[in-house]
Amino acid sequence: MTVLLEARPTTSLGDLQLSPMTIETPEEPTANEPVVEAEPVDEPEDVRALFEEQALQYMDQLYAAAMRMTKNPADAADLVQETFVKAYTAFGQFQQGTNLKAWLYRIQTNTFINNYRKNQRNPYQGTIDDLEDWQLGGAESVTQHTSTRSAEAEAIDHLPDSAVKDALQSIPEDFRLAVYFADVEGFSYQEIADIMKTPVGTVMSRLHRGRRLLRGLLAEYASDRGIAAAPATGSKK
Amino acid sequence: MTDCGCDKAKAELEEYIHNELTTGEAADIAEHMATCTDCSGEHLVGLTLTAKVREACNEKAPADLRSEVLAKLRDIQPTR
Repeated sequence: MTVLLEARPTTSLGDLQLSPMTIETPEEPTANEPVVEAEPVDEPEDVRALFEEQALQYMDQLYAAAMRMTKNPADAADLVQETFVKAYTAFGQFQQGTNLKAWLYRIQTNTFINNYRKNQRNPYQGTIDDLEDWQLGGAESVTQHTSTRSAEAEAIDHLPDSAVKDALQSIPEDFRLAVYFADVEGFSYQEIADIMKTPVGTVMSRLHRGRRLLRGLLAEYASDRGIAAAPATGSKK
Repeated sequence: MTDCGCDKAKAELEEYIHNELTTGEAADIAEHMATCTDCSGEHLVGLTLTAKVREACNEKAPADLRSEVLAKLRDIQPTR
């Protein structure tokens, strides 16, 4: 029976596979260096064909993630390109049969942190996990805005994508990425921990806090724009 | 029938939504939510949030990025 995952957000089955990933993070590949420690039979063309076939399919997803990271299309495209180049040069270290998408995300996240993040203003750098909830602002009083939870869900559901993206972009980066990895990509907490190089407990905390901030921002947006579901009429079961 | 109560359900709702609970734990939460509109409402909000984020982030890479990446890869000569 293999019903388990795939339909992630709606299934309620627990019993997760916390499969530890064996991802080798590539060392910074130096340009013009031998790149693939190919098995004897692998011709360069074969390696490239294999890489193109297996890895390039994730381009849209990596790009969407890169947009969440860099916040602008030009940097996002550069980041994705750099990710593929690094992944290609390190492809010999990738273990076939393990999670290629997670491996690519790990490379991209590393690359982002090393090359891009330091260019961005981020006053909370390194300390965001230590802030108390009240310091983060947002969202504890969400339900004051809407009369019932089902009304709140309906209001959120009616928001345009742009509002959701804006809200995402405005929450702290580590929270945003945790939310992205969990909610968009459906990675397990353990996989996110490996990608972000942080303990699972920190992933949980980032995810909870990120989602709570997001929820508050969306509720605010909805009430500002008058997007609210009809007052509670008893649409509950 | 041992309803786990609102506190436990609310505390673990995020893990429930992200499929991080064991089957037994998830069943406890589900059982509680079946009779608690407050918690099932929270669950609905959580699912909606996930669905909206997923939908909003469904982006396509620019059309020329693929060819740029392919060109880059061809510049790299994998040697042994």
